[in-house]
Formats: sequence, C-alpha cells, structure tokens
Amino acid sequence: MTSPTKAEGSGPAVALDPELAATTETVQVKELVGRSPGQLMWIRFKRDRAGVTSACIVLFFIAIGLLAPVISKLYGKDPYTVYADERPELFDSAGVPLHPNGGISSEFWFGLEPGNGYDVFTKLLYGIRNSLGISVAVTVATVLTGVLLGIAAGYLGGKVDFAISRVVDFLLAFPSQLFFIASMPVVVSLFVDPKDETPVYVRVVALIAVQWFLGWMSLARILRGTTLSLAGREFIEAAKVSGAPPWRIIRKEILPNVVTPILVQSTYMLPAFVTAEAGLSFLGVGIVEPTPDWGQMFSKASTELVMQNDITYMFFPGISMIIFIVAFNLLGDSVRDAFDPKTAR
Amino acid sequence: MGKGGRHAYAAISLLAAGALALTGCSEGGSKEGSGDNKDKENAARQQSSIDFGDAKASMGPAAEVSGAKPGGTVTVLQRDSYAHLDPAQIYVSDEGSLSSILHRGLTGYKATSDDGSKHEVVGDLATDSGTTTDGGKTWKFTLKDGVKWADGSEITSTDVRHTFERLFAPFVTNGPTYIQQWLANTPGAAYRKILKDGPYKGKHLPDSILDTPDDKTIVFKFKEAKPDLPYALAMAGYGIVSEKKDTKAKYDKAPMTAGPYKIKDFKSGKSMTLVKNTNWDPKTDPIRHQYVDQFNFVFNKQYEDSTKALLDDSGENATSISFNNQVDAGNLSKVLADSSLKSRVVSGYQPYVGQMNINLSQKEMQDKKVREAIAYALPVTPFVRAYGGAQAMEVAGGLISPTVSGYNPNFDPFGKKKKPAGDPEKAKQLLKEAGKENLKLTFGYINTPEGQQYSTAMAAGLEKAGFDVQRQEIPAETYYDQVSKVKNNYDIFHTAWGADWPSASTVIPPLYDGRQIQDGASNYSHINDDKVNADIDRINKITDPVKAAEEWNKVNEYIVKNVVSNVPTAYYKQTQIAGSKIGGLVYDDVLGGVDPRRLFVK
Repeated sequence: MTSPTKAEGSGPAVALDPELAATTETVQVKELVGRSPGQLMWIRFKRDRAGVTSACIVLFFIAIGLLAPVISKLYGKDPYTVYADERPELFDSAGVPLHPNGGISSEFWFGLEPGNGYDVFTKLLYGIRNSLGISVAVTVATVLTGVLLGIAAGYLGGKVDFAISRVVDFLLAFPSQLFFIASMPVVVSLFVDPKDETPVYVRVVALIAVQWFLGWMSLARILRGTTLSLAGREFIEAAKVSGAPPWRIIRKEILPNVVTPILVQSTYMLPAFVTAEAGLSFLGVGIVEPTPDWGQMFSKASTELVMQNDITYMFFPGISMIIFIVAFNLLGDSVRDAFDPKTAR
Repeated sequence: MGKGGRHAYAAISLLAAGALALTGCSEGGSKEGSGDNKDKENAARQQSSIDFGDAKASMGPAAEVSGAKPGGTVTVLQRDSYAHLDPAQIYVSDEGSLSSILHRGLTGYKATSDDGSKHEVVGDLATDSGTTTDGGKTWKFTLKDGVKWADGSEITSTDVRHTFERLFAPFVTNGPTYIQQWLANTPGAAYRKILKDGPYKGKHLPDSILDTPDDKTIVFKFKEAKPDLPYALAMAGYGIVSEKKDTKAKYDKAPMTAGPYKIKDFKSGKSMTLVKNTNWDPKTDPIRHQYVDQFNFVFNKQYEDSTKALLDDSGENATSISFNNQVDAGNLSKVLADSSLKSRVVSGYQPYVGQMNINLSQKEMQDKKVREAIAYALPVTPFVRAYGGAQAMEVAGGLISPTVSGYNPNFDPFGKKKKPAGDPEKAKQLLKEAGKENLKLTFGYINTPEGQQYSTAMAAGLEKAGFDVQRQEIPAETYYDQVSKVKNNYDIFHTAWGADWPSASTVIPPLYDGRQIQDGASNYSHINDDKVNADIDRINKITDPVKAAEEWNKVNEYIVKNVVSNVPTAYYKQTQIAGSKIGGLVYDDVLGGVDPRRLFVK
C-alpha cells in the first residue's frame, strides 16, 4: 500500500493538503529526485529563519532542562540549600541579599533568592526542568488520548462517535482553571498518608492528571473531523474492500494522514501547558517550596519583600519564560507553515 | 492571544522585557548595625518589673510631655473598624489602644519613663492600686473625688458594682473572664451560674463577694488569694460602665465614657470622630493627657496603604498616625534604613512569644534526648526572616516575653542567640546517643506564605541533624483548632502566646498546666509535669509581684531546659510610623503599640 499522496498522482491531494502534491510535482520536475512529504517539510522549515532560531532556543531549553543535574554538579550548588542559614554573612536578617542586584557574584551567578536564600541559578535550571518535564508529560498524555478517541470517534462513527463527542462537549464546558484549582488539593489528599508529607511525585502526578483530564478534547475534536473526511475517501474504501481490518486501516491509512494536525497542535499545546502549570504553582496549588518550579519563582517574585528590595530576582524566571514561550509559539507557526505552506494565516 | 497577532505580540513583549531588564537593578539589603546596643537596651528593659503604685503615684495630673502644646486634629489610619466599644467586650489590642483614651478603670498603667518602657500600676478612678490586708483575698478600692462621666454626672460605687455584675449577662461574650472566674471561684465558663442574667432582673452579687458599703468604696472578696487583681483591673475589658446609661447590647456601639475623649460620631467600617470630654478632670487622672482637640479615624487602611500615606507626609498625612498598623514587611527595611525618618519611627515589642511545641503525646517525642536534639537543631532564623527580620522578631531564649516581669535576657540554654541557625552537630550526636537517627518528625505548619517559607528552611535545618522531616500544611483559618486537638498527628508545630497583663501568671498556667489538657485548651505540647503543676499552685498564692515574677521565671527555665517540651523561637516586635507633625510619639510596651494618651500636634 502506497501513501495516498503518491497514489493519487497529480490529482488533488487529500483534503488536508490540497496543494502539497502540486508542490511535490514542481520540485520533482526541477531536480528529478523523489522526496517524501516529511523531507519536503524539512526543506521548507530550514528556509524559515525565525523557525530555525526558535527551534534552537527550544532545544537549548530542553537541553538545560535535561542536563540540570550535570550543570549544577559542575557549578557546585543545589537548589535546596538554605544559603541564608549556611552563609548568613550574605544576607540581612530579613533574608534580603546584602550585595546589590540580588547578591549576584562570581559565586552565585544569578544571585540568591530573598527569603530563604536559595541559589537562583540552580533553582531556575531545576525549575525549567520540572516545569518542562511536567508539561511534556501532559502533552504526551493529551496527544495519545486525543488521537485515540478522536480517530475512534471519526472512523467508527455511530454510537461510539456520539458517546465520545458528548463527553468532549461536556468536558469542554468545564471552566478549566477553576477546576484545576479546586481539584488539585482533593487529588493530592487522595494519595497521602496523614502522617507523611505530600511527596513531590504525588503533586506532579496530580498536576499531570488534572491538566490531562481537561486538555485532550480540542485535539480529539480536530482529529475526529479530519478522520471523518478521510473515512469517505476512495483509498479507505479500497482498503476496506480488500479486507483490511479496522485497526490496520487506522494505523496504515488514517494515522499517516493526520500527522500534520497532531504535530501542529502539540507544538501549540506544550507552551500553553507550561504557562498553565506555572499559573497553578503561582497560585500555590501546583508545585510548592522547596521543589523548584518556574511558576513558583514568579509567585516568590511577586511578594512585597522581593518587589521592594530585590527587583532583579524577577527577571530570571520572567525573561527566561518569555523567551521560551515566544520561541515555542514561533516554532509552532513555522512547523505549520512548513507542512501547510499555502494556508492563509 | 489571537493567532493573527502572534508575531507582533512576541516582538512587543521581548522589547518590554529588555527595557525592564535595563532598569532592573536593585540595591542590596539593609546594612544593620551590630546587635550589642539592642541587647543592652533589652537588658535594661527587663529590669522594669511592674510595681503597684501607692496613693501618691495615683494622683493626677500626669507629668507633662516635653514640648507638648494643646490643639490640632490627628487623623488615625486603622486597618480594622472597631467591633466593640463596650468595655466588657474589649479584648483585642486595637480596641485596647482606643480604650486607653476613651474609658477608665479602677486601676491603670502609668508610664514612669519617657520611652514607654517602664510602668507601674496605679489607681485610675481609685485612689491607689488597691489595698489588701489578708494576702490578696480581700481587696479594697476607694474612688477619687471629682471623677465624672462625660455627661457630668458623678462616678459612684454603684457604677463599679454594675460594671462587674453585667459581666455575667449573656450578651457579654468577648471580654476577659479572669475576675468573673475569681469571684465565682470556678474555672471555665461556669462562673455565669452565680448571676445568670446579670444585674438586669434585680438580682445582685452578694456582699460576701462584692461589697459596696458606701458611694466611694468597693471591696472584692475572693475565696482564694488573687494577688494579680490590680493588673487584671487595668485591662481594657474591666473599664467602668455607667449604670444609668447602660443600654445592654447597644452599649457596644454608643458607650458612655469617662476618659479624656468622647465619641462624637461612629460609622462602623468607615470612620469615627473623637472630641474632647470637657468633664474629664486632669487632676484626677495620673495616666492620660488631652492635648489633641480631635481624632479622626479612617478604617480599612491596610498596612501597605497606611505606610504609603505616612511616608508621603504631605498635607493631612503629616498629622496622621496609626495606633495599631505596622510598617508592612516589604517596606520595613527601607523605612528603618532611612535616617531622615528616625524621629517618626518607633519600634517595640508585642506581647507574643513564639514557640515550637513538641507534642509529648507522641511516643517518639517522649524521649528527652530526641527533644533536646530538636531544640538544638531547630533553626530560628527562618522564622525571623519570614516575618521581616530582626526588627520584627527577636530570637528568644525563654518563654517569658521582655514585656513581662521576670524576663531574663541571659537565659539561653540551647545557644539560640549565638547560633540562631541551629547546632546540627550537637543534635546529631544526641540523636545518635538516643539511637534514633533518621527519626520521622511530622511538622505541622500554618499554610500562609510565611509559614511555607519558614517551615521549609526549618525542615532543612532539622534534616541536617538527621531527622526525617515530614512537613504537613494546616489551613490558616483552622490552624489553632487543629493543633489544640489532644489527638493530632503532629510531632512539632509552632504557636504564639501573649500575656494578658505583664505577669507570667497569664502565661505559665494556661500553657503548661498539665491538668488542663483537653481539646481546645492551650497546653499545646501536652506537658504534664508534677513539679510544674505543683509550682503553678504554689506561685499563684504568692502576693509579692516581684517575688512571684522571679518564681515564674524559674518555672519557665525549668520547662525550657529540663522538660524541653517547648522550644522558644522569637519575641514579636513591630515598627510603626507617624506623620512628621505628630509629637509625643512613643511605643508603649504594655499597650503593644503607639501610646495614644500622650500625642500632640507640633
């Protein structure tokens, strides 16, 4: 079985990419080499300078997130040491660093956090690591659920479609932010022995769970629509007639044709989850001290103590997050452009 | 963010961030002087054991405040509106400050120094601070001549009798209950039985309990010696109420007053105006002044708002003050570092002492070595930091506050003043001796930003000593309900307690009497030590306040050092600021705030 784009030759391509095949044609005429749609996308993406730059930035963030333990080992500090008690000479009695600009020095590159005096550099590294890790996990869970339920609804139709679509409608009607805030403490308390501290992993799992629960519907809806339009097409009919089982049709015929919306959607979803996770920690229902977290650094930065005495502190989580979110959104745009160059924005 | 504008938004936000980054430099924290001076000052303050003044000390008028002149209007910025104006319902400190210029009692605290640190208990309406001939069972007070209500009528012993009898009425629910319990000779709320409806249905307390033989004389008769009566009578909650003008529950909004000011107008939650009481005679009052013509109160001013207005110091703000608002934690180091503000900033102690309770009902906590290890390991610095630093919290050695007689500044058995960040090595060793390394320690903390901040750093300090700390958050609204349950899960948790009058008899018995362990009681650590219990009974009978103070301090030292059930953390302090045209600004240790009685407009 060939890919539908090739199978249909120079005729109009699948509903998703009406122009893709035509573009393929012209390139082929010029250079006379065969390229898959993935390769074409890659060529187009490489030409987009903003896209490549933002991809590099995103990769950089992912790299420092992954390498945080290595970097902080080389740097010789960790984000849990209470420097206000270990090195009291660097702080006044309210925990404000004595040196200007939040105590930035050759020893503490990004300064020290007012209050308990955590090292800002390692805290930011681990904060990025934790926030990104949680958001990637939410994205993966959401995409898997969305793909499974969306395609099932679109392909199977009938009662299954009805049931899934109503669940989607129902969940979309939930006010998500309020739901997160209300359900986080409940979910957390379900898992914890009253004698013990809430372990960090429980909070992480709960954060992933509540965001996943209300995060998968939009993707499922898009995929349902796409699958519905694909299901009526000739190559699917042909596969059915030749006796292919539904699972094989979904895997081999439908999935390759919905890769584009999945990729584009997930590059939009990930930064949204990062900000949502940061928002929850900012409000105090996500990750709490002393576990480093991006959003929790914001909530620290917004206290009167920091605002009045050490405004520098706010710029490390602030600028890093702005750069990351902007870069990831631009990357999302570029990915979409590369897959789908003719769609008007 | 709409999809259409993504690029534009991105550019703008990056630019804005860049601009902010350029201006985003900040200065370091405040540079603090050495602590030597402070310690000396504190040492001086502790000498101020509060004596009972005689008839001479109780004579008015009060000593002039240097530079004071009459006249002017003062604006008072307050966070909370006054919920209660009826003396019988007044217990909280902001109402106490107001009451100091509004109401009068049988006794009161007279400042004997110009900095608000030294006091003695003198007769206010009474000619002296009370006389007893049988060791504190019978107390006799005589009213001064010429003491009048704001409407010009004479204050008589009938009013005093009425004042105490109405404390038993069902609508009086908020004030202190010491004297009622002493008169009825019962603990708890059972005192109400002896006069169920108060004096309103014609019944009165028998002469064997409260006797008023003539218009000027009042005699209290207790079954057991109550040497602290003069202190208790000085509480705002025992201010005198007019028998003729008593409107029962309505008195709470419009009381008759006897102090130098009377209420002209009160809009609950918005504003209040106090004007001079022309029937107040300075010659009868050794405590108060009447320099200012009028006080205008404005409510709903948060700490940030009042600090901002008073720092601004223009126009009306220059003659403004707040009786009870502190400088907010964020502005605190800035305000203290600015030397131009020095003359209008005052700091002092609040009556509270913070302490880490070790729950003796938990099996593992019954090992004294473990408790000592906690006491050595526990860092106090996180607590001090979380509330704004050394100007807001002072590292404590004992459980008796510097504002209470008997405070010993040199008592520091676990070296907290030298090593406020804890001594993990010593603790580690003790824990090893006890064979309890990696002991699980459940730490209940109050879920406020401050609680989160200090509990994480305290946990880090305890972990260095080899404890396995499990932090558990407790909602702030129900914190004290949860930790005062006899069966709770926490091994350690932090509470604070303030004395009702400057005697440890309002600290040690309620907190450390082992016979008072029950749900809702304030013996949080469940200490039940025979020696402490016996000492409490013994010292409660000592009539000499100076000797009693000494003895209470011995109990305090025994609890901290030998029982190790409570680890003192900090004495609460606060800093207040006033407009530049306010004169006579002094922090009064007994009121726990600015002294309103001596203010004038420059």
